[in-house]
Amino acid sequence: MSRYLIVTSRDLYEYASSSYVLELAGSLKNRGHEVTLYLVENGVLAARPGAQLAARLSDLSRSGVTVLAEDVSAKARGIEQLADGVRLSNMDELADLIVDGCDKVIWY
Amino acid sequence: MAAQNGAKNVVIVLATGSYEREAPTTVLRLAEKLLQRGVNVNVWAFEEAVTLTNKDQIDHSEPGALQGVLGEKHSHVSKYIDMLLRAGLHGAKLDWVSCILCVQERGVEKHQMNSVTIGTLGDLWKFVRAADRVITIPSYR
Repeated sequence: MSRYLIVTSRDLYEYASSSYVLELAGSLKNRGHEVTLYLVENGVLAARPGAQLAARLSDLSRSGVTVLAEDVSAKARGIEQLADGVRLSNMDELADLIVDGCDKVIWY
Repeated sequence: MAAQNGAKNVVIVLATGSYEREAPTTVLRLAEKLLQRGVNVNVWAFEEAVTLTNKDQIDHSEPGALQGVLGEKHSHVSKYIDMLLRAGLHGAKLDWVSCILCVQERGVEKHQMNSVTIGTLGDLWKFVRAADRVITIPSYR
């Protein structure tokens, strides 16, 4: 089994293809892979509690996908709380994930 | 330092230039963290990203509002790149290659910073072949 790091920098509402990225994360997890979904830049917008896509992120978290949101991106956008299942992260953790926390990086 | 079995060489392929999106700053912040971990970073810049290393550009940060969050750590783009290139002299190395066709098309071939290499797709291929991780930053509209 492999470890996938999916970094989402786009606003998930703005692009139709974002649904495929979330589906990919869930499907990889269902197939037994280790998956981390890392939200950065406008990707953190979906993690705001009450956002429509926040529920989708929470579902992914419950299914075993690690969902993280970068702290600088969140702070810049005034997001002080994150949806259930989404954990606050930072650039150090992203670097650690790239170095020895994954086998493949997909940057969306 | 990089974990014993962890990545030692990371390639970042970047097409986003100044005044477009937050991607260049994210890449620089990430590159800095990777270099601190002893990981060699190769950046292959093409399309608008070749303007990031224009030594004659007016100092600017991307986006300027991030200074309110990062404070003094949010260097101007060219200074940030220069700092990372210099850090490579004494630790993990950053190589920054700008695509030759892209610099020519944009008239910045003779304006590239001193430590930047003007290269070709052959350089990208060699970077990818030697890399443990390849990160392609999408250019989207």
